[in-house]
Amino acid sequence: MISREKYEWMVKDTQQTEWVEGQGVFIVAAFFLGGISGGSYLATLYFNNLLGMFISWLLALLMGVFYLLHLTKPIRFWRMVFKPQTSWISRGLILISLFIGLVFIQLCLSYWLPGTGWEIVLKVLAGIMAFAQSIYTGFVLSYVKGIKFWNSALVPILFVICGLVGGFGILLAISLGGTYAEIEAIENILRVLLVVYAIIVTVYLLNSTYVDAVSKDSVMQLITGANAPIFWGGVVLFGIVVPIAISVTSYFAAEASAPLLITAVICEIIGGFSLRYSILKGGIYKPLIPIHS
Amino acid sequence: MRWGMVVDLKKCVGCYSCVVACKEEHFLPPGIFWNRVLVTHKGTYPAVTKEILPTLCNHCKEAPCVKVCPTGASIRREDGIVLVDADKCVGCRYCIIACPYQQRTSFKKYTPYFKGNGYTPPEELGRQLYPLQEGTAVKCNFCLERIEEGLKTGLKPGDDPEATPACVIACAAKARYFGDLDDPESMVSRLIREKKGTPLSSEFDTEPSVYYLRY
Repeated sequence: MISREKYEWMVKDTQQTEWVEGQGVFIVAAFFLGGISGGSYLATLYFNNLLGMFISWLLALLMGVFYLLHLTKPIRFWRMVFKPQTSWISRGLILISLFIGLVFIQLCLSYWLPGTGWEIVLKVLAGIMAFAQSIYTGFVLSYVKGIKFWNSALVPILFVICGLVGGFGILLAISLGGTYAEIEAIENILRVLLVVYAIIVTVYLLNSTYVDAVSKDSVMQLITGANAPIFWGGVVLFGIVVPIAISVTSYFAAEASAPLLITAVICEIIGGFSLRYSILKGGIYKPLIPIHS
Repeated sequence: MRWGMVVDLKKCVGCYSCVVACKEEHFLPPGIFWNRVLVTHKGTYPAVTKEILPTLCNHCKEAPCVKVCPTGASIRREDGIVLVDADKCVGCRYCIIACPYQQRTSFKKYTPYFKGNGYTPPEELGRQLYPLQEGTAVKCNFCLERIEEGLKTGLKPGDDPEATPACVIACAAKARYFGDLDDPESMVSRLIREKKGTPLSSEFDTEPSVYYLRY
């Protein structure tokens, strides 16, 4: 956190705290769960893994719980569906509700009446909702013009890729008892996704340094400031370096080691949460009196 | 009609009268400010200047807080005043995040000004006359109650003190003006036109209703 005296509020760069401190940490968890739930559904849909779909559904429910925990008036949550015309939070709640409903019906059909036309239709619809669910949290942030670090078209893309990395990681963990070919196929996709993820994180941070001085400050806070341990430890080490190292090792090994792959999956999940936390923590407002610190 | 305000930065002396008047008018609890005065210094000794910037909700025409509110609790009235309907607010704090001027606050809990001594009679009175809902977003309302009462009795906000926001009336340096921005002959419109009033941070494209004179 940037250390500021009370009288420096909006006189110097001022960090947002509402969505990262106290009750605000629940929205970090909700954003993370939304991404990973959508990503894991898309991954399990591709490999037609029913258990994975069920886990995605549970994660979406958990996201809803964290959303409620974030609200200071949770009993009124139903009011949040009334402004989809302009509010991304409202759109998000509708998307999550549709995702949970559609996946529930699809799971019932897949379990008791597999192979029906309705099952396929529901899978397609739920897949669209899963993608929307993982991307909308990015739009929630990119809509905020006051925080230049968030006000970037790269944020939704970054959140989707991060969600897919975590989603394929979950799929890998639940497929470890399965066939070698399937594990290898999941690993191959994960390798590509991890590289794409690393590139997007780098491009996003580099791009943010060119937007304006405040956005550059956000990046510097992540790289060298108070948020650096979470960024370097959580996002870079756990989220990118360790999973890539394990993925390279397993590529050259005759057979992938299960404990090693589980370690990679846990690291990806920690990395996904750290990414959301770092980005939210890096939200800084431009001072109203333009004296740049 | 679009209510608006003009703040003359050359006249403002940074006395905090507006801050206190606003607190008094709405019985605002500790930590809640609908008016603020930002103060800083520019330059190095001996060429140092003091910069003062009084701030309040800009009641933007394209208010991001209204757009992001998922429940419709944040509204912009026909007269341009942006309000929060506390009964509809869920406390998601997206409006607070979205305001580039940071003029909204999440009101967590009532606490007395003098800890350990309970609420003073004025604080008790305030909780009855101007109750705030815990867990909702709060902000400046341009002293809506004064404007509405004034209009009912035929007064003109901006001209008649009883119908004008408390911060404008309390300003010791007469640095604040209030009136109808849609009326080209109103004092605020003339000041903006003649003295080239500009809003804060216009790059956010929110079309604020508070202008500053920096001539």
